[in-house]
Formats: sequence, C-alpha cells, structure tokens
Amino acid sequence: MQFTKLGLLAGLALGALVAATPAMAQTVVKVWSIDGIDRPGIADTFSKEFNEQNKDIQIEYRAIPFDDLVNETLRAFATGNAPDIVSFDNPDFALFSSRGAMLDITDRVKASDIIGKAQYFEGPLNSVSWDGKLFGVPKYTDTIGVFYNKDMFAKAGIATPPQTWAEFAADAEKLTDAANNVYGATFSAKAGEEGTFQFLPVIQASGGSYKDVNTDGAAEVLDLWKKMIDNGWASKDVLTLGQWDSTGTFNSGNAAMAVSGPWEIDRMVEDAKFDWGVTLLPTITDGGERSSALGGFDWGIMSSTKHPDEAFKVLEYYVSQDNRLFPEFGNLPARGDIELPVTGVEKKDAALKVFQEQLKYAQPRGPHPEWQKISKAIYDAMQAALTGQMSAKDALDQAQATIKGIVG
Amino acid sequence: MARIFNSMRDGVGFDLILVGAAMVFLLALAGLPLVYNVLMSFQQVDMFTLGDLFRPLAGFSNYVAVVNAPEFWLVTKNTLIFVFASMAGQFVLGFSLALFFAQKFPGAATIRGLFLVSWVMPGLVVGAIWSWILAGDFGVLNTILKSMGIIQAPIFWKSDPNFSIWAVIIANIWLGLAFNMLLLSVGLAAIPRDLYEAAELDGANAFQRFWTITLPMMRSTIGAVLSLGLIGTLQQFDLFPALTEGGPANTSNVAGYWAWQMSFKLYDFAKGATISVMMFVLVLIASIVYVRSTRHEVRG
Repeated sequence: MQFTKLGLLAGLALGALVAATPAMAQTVVKVWSIDGIDRPGIADTFSKEFNEQNKDIQIEYRAIPFDDLVNETLRAFATGNAPDIVSFDNPDFALFSSRGAMLDITDRVKASDIIGKAQYFEGPLNSVSWDGKLFGVPKYTDTIGVFYNKDMFAKAGIATPPQTWAEFAADAEKLTDAANNVYGATFSAKAGEEGTFQFLPVIQASGGSYKDVNTDGAAEVLDLWKKMIDNGWASKDVLTLGQWDSTGTFNSGNAAMAVSGPWEIDRMVEDAKFDWGVTLLPTITDGGERSSALGGFDWGIMSSTKHPDEAFKVLEYYVSQDNRLFPEFGNLPARGDIELPVTGVEKKDAALKVFQEQLKYAQPRGPHPEWQKISKAIYDAMQAALTGQMSAKDALDQAQATIKGIVG
Repeated sequence: MARIFNSMRDGVGFDLILVGAAMVFLLALAGLPLVYNVLMSFQQVDMFTLGDLFRPLAGFSNYVAVVNAPEFWLVTKNTLIFVFASMAGQFVLGFSLALFFAQKFPGAATIRGLFLVSWVMPGLVVGAIWSWILAGDFGVLNTILKSMGIIQAPIFWKSDPNFSIWAVIIANIWLGLAFNMLLLSVGLAAIPRDLYEAAELDGANAFQRFWTITLPMMRSTIGAVLSLGLIGTLQQFDLFPALTEGGPANTSNVAGYWAWQMSFKLYDFAKGATISVMMFVLVLIASIVYVRSTRHEVRG
C-alpha cells in the first residue's frame, strides 16, 4: 500500500516535471503540411532535425491529408486554433493571403540573410505575393511537359517530337494502333484542379489568362483535343483520369505520348520498358508563345501566430535546406540558384533539363482568393466542349461570363 | 411529492421523461444542425465568419445563385434519374431475389446470407471495385460484353456523358440490393402459410396469389423499404468520388455531391448549405407522402 502511494507520487512529480520543462524555456511553433503521411517528406524530416538542433524553439508538426488541408486550416483559423506555419498548394495560397490570414513577411525577408526574393522563379513568387506584399515563400515547384515513347516514334517514322498542338494531334493519329491497344496520346482533362492544371497553359499560350479564357487559340486546341478523343487517338477516359493514372497508361505502353510532370520520372524509370524522352509543352502556332502550368507548394506564416519571430526562424531553417529537396525527395526547388546534381540515370537527367527549361514559362494559377471557383469554370468549360455538350467557343464564352462575375 | 415521484416511476411522468429524453436527443443531434444549416443558407459565409452563428444576412441571394448556376437543371435531372432508377432497380431486383429465396430449396438460407456481403462493404471499396469493372479500356464488364458480341467498341461507362450517371446507378443498385432483399424477405416470412394454401385450394394461380395475398400483406414493408431506399439513395456519397467525381461535365453530378463540392471544394459554405436545404425539402415532401399513405395501417 505504502509502496504504491510512493510510486504514484513519484509518477506525478515526474509528470509535472515533463510538463513544466517546455513551458519554461521553449516556444512551440505549430507546423501543418501534407508531408510525412505515407513516406518521409520535406516538412516532417526538416522539423525533426530542427527540434534536435534547437532547444529554445520546438516544432510541433502535424501531417494532414491533401484533401483536408484547406478545410482543416479554415476551420482552425475561424476558431482561433490555427497553426503558426502552414504549407498550401500554390493556387490555394491566395484564399488565405488575400484576406489577411497570412503574415506579411516582406520586411523580414528583406532583412534575412537566408531568404531572398531574387533567388526565386517569378511564377512561384507570384503565388505567394498579394497586393505587392510577400506573404510566404515557395516550398518547391513543378510543371508539365510532354513525355514521348521514342521507340514508337521511330516505328511510326516520326523524327522529332511535336512542337505545336496541331503536330501533337497529327502525331497522335499516326501513333495510334487500336489493334494493339495503343492510343496516340494521353493527358488529363479531368473535372478538377488537375484538368485546369493541364488546360490553363493552353489558354495562356494563346494570349489569354485565367481572367480572359475565351481566346480563339484555346478554342482551336480544345477542338483538336475533342477530335483526338472522338477519333480514338486518345482514350475517352482522359475525361476522368488523373495525371498519375493517365501517365500509367503511357508507362505500360498503351499511349505513345503523355502530358505530365517531373513527379512521374522515378516511376517511369522503373516501369517503362522502352526508350522515352521529354519535350516542352506544344505551342499553338509554330514558334509561338510558350506557357506551362505551375505546380508545387508554398510556405506561409499565419497572421494569428503569437510567435512571428520564432516562426520566421523555422521558415529560414526550411529554406536553408532547399538544396536537399531534389536529391532526397525528388522535388524541384523553386529557385534558379540551386544546381541540380547529376543523378547518373541518363533519361532522368535529360528529362530534368527539359523541365527546368519548361519552368521558365510556368505561370501560377491565380493568385486569386476565389481560385477554386475560377478553376471550376475553366474545367467545366473544357469538359462541356470535350463531351460535345457545347461548342468550344460557347463553352469558353460561358466560362468567361462566370469568371467575370467572380473577378469583377 | 410522493405522488409526483410515483407518477415519475409509473404514470404520466414516466411517459413524459421517455418522450423528453427522445426529444432532447433529436433536438440536439438533428434539430440544431438542421436549423443551423437553414440559417447558414440565408447568410454570407466566409473564412472569418465560419465559426460564428450570426453573420451578415444574404436574403435569398444564395438560392437565386444556386438556381441560376449553369449546372443546376442538369444536377436536378441527374438527381431524379439517380434516385428513381436506383430505387426501382434495388426494389425490383431485391423483391425478385426475396421471392426466389423464399422458395424452399437446399441452401436457400445460406446463399441468401452470402448476399449480405455487398451490404457490409464500405461504399468507397464498392466504388473502387466497380471502378475497375466499369473501366473503359480494360474493364471487366466491357470485356465480357465484347466477348459475347453485344458491343463492338468498348463503352466508356465512367467517361461517356451518356453513361456516367448509369455507372453510378449500377454500382448503387448492387450496393443496396442486399438490404432491400433482406427487409422484403422478413416481410415475406411473416405472411401466414395457410393463406396461400387456402387460395390454392380455391384454385388461385401463382400470379393471383402474388397479386392478392403477397402484395397486400407486404404493403407496410414495401412502404418502409421504399422510404429507406429514398433516404439511402439521396445520402449516397462514397460512390461518386470513387467512380466519376460527378463528371464528365457534371453529367453524373447529383445534389448531395454538388452540395459537398460547394462547401468543401469551392469553400462556398453558404451555397453548400442552400443545396442541402433544397434537398431537405424534397425529402420532407416524400416523407409526408409516405406517412400519409401508411397512416390508416398504423391506426388499424
């Protein structure tokens, strides 16, 4: 009896000690991101290291699934439980920064030795800027280009990969081999952000933007896409497949070209039993304007934080590790001053060169606080045209009317 | 005092406590969220007012905006098709199976039990499985139909605007079939055997027996099955993200999924609430019809 009482007291004392220690000397910085759910990612790895190196600041890291991240943060912010630092997909960032939910770090970045505005690519930087101020820093970036099966191109007698969308469609026709279940091309025209991700570059290359979508060039390319689907040069399933699944059909040799991004490379090196290469996203006219999509995540400090200085220190630590993004996690840093190391895998190194070139033309989606609605107008129009519910021109006109109502 | 205590143990007070407990439960867990939802549909909601109860009023503007959305009529049509086709399919097939297994043959009860497998599977798993079966280029169903010579080119169940809603309906019928069959089997088992024997002696054939005995005796069971089917179908959600995500071009989008998209994809919580309220009114009308149609039986 006496013994248990003693043990209980000791336990209580120990518990009190453990509970009291962080409260005395440490600042806890809460960080949310999608990393570290299925495999070690950027945010969880760096946070663990930071905690080991620092005594006065400790990161409390929480991994949240991609689909829940924005909702969870909205709810947390509304009820006053928001994290100090959060990492959003770049088109979602403006939802928060435009309404004062993110901390203005313009001056802190100016004074920082580690983070500098000049080092970042323009597109990623735009996604964290609002109203001339800086509300975050790009975490990593990606973009899309065209993967092509060199063996099939040789067999079809096509010497160079397509440079315009008209060539893309013509090549797709030649490459299609229905008897062997081979489609000429695959892409993702899904009703969702991935669909907008792949179609918006076409609008931009035609001289439009997310505010100005009903261009003749965009309608022309949409008609080409429809033709490819109607004639069986591309599977009807491009309307429902995401990029990962769509490119899976390329890897298995069921499509000769695939529109997708650098996140596919590692799997392709593993799965694809043929020679392949990457080329830039086609233009609308020969030698015409180039454009591409900008993917990737951003870091930001939430304006509700009680420890802005400590949070910025954490951010500086994350940014200082940017040179490890590619070798350890396969993500492209959003900055031009980091030389990517050669991996020794020939196809991978060649592909990365193309994607780094492509990044120069990448433009962010938005930034706009109601990006999700703009995006829906764009992919709805794309799908209405591709399924033949409306003509490409009418569909884009309708999207334009919807978008005008949103951006004013 | 003693009288009040007594009445609480056994009398009017006891009844009131029972009713009260049920009412408190209903109000707290169903009533309040419902009122909150209706309130929200008349307000402007953004991220700063998400946690509040009283927000700037929006009048009917949310309702006007929802009805004026380009996809509104398409979604309405899809919802009606989805509800009626799913219910009809589930009921007709479920009833046929129930009648079939009501025949006494070896293993009837065991095989009927096995049908419940579909009922215990989570909707997302069912969706994933049907997603493979209905896949366009390498789907099982297309391969079967092709080898039987019924179709020449593959049907893109999930990607063809003419078929997408039917892809979800097929999966939903399969999912709800066992539940319908089970409830109807219970109803069938409750019909006294001697009724059939008497009818048979009087020379009634199988169809006459079904029409004049089985159906009338099953009336309340059928009513319950149909109303539960309506509720289950309207709240069906898992199959949509797993199969078509409402696409292509909203051709398989229904009200429930649309409301979720508004709230949790476009972050327009007010319009999401508005669509839910519209759906609620629809269910309310259906419930009233159901309650009225079965009222005399409850009293009889």
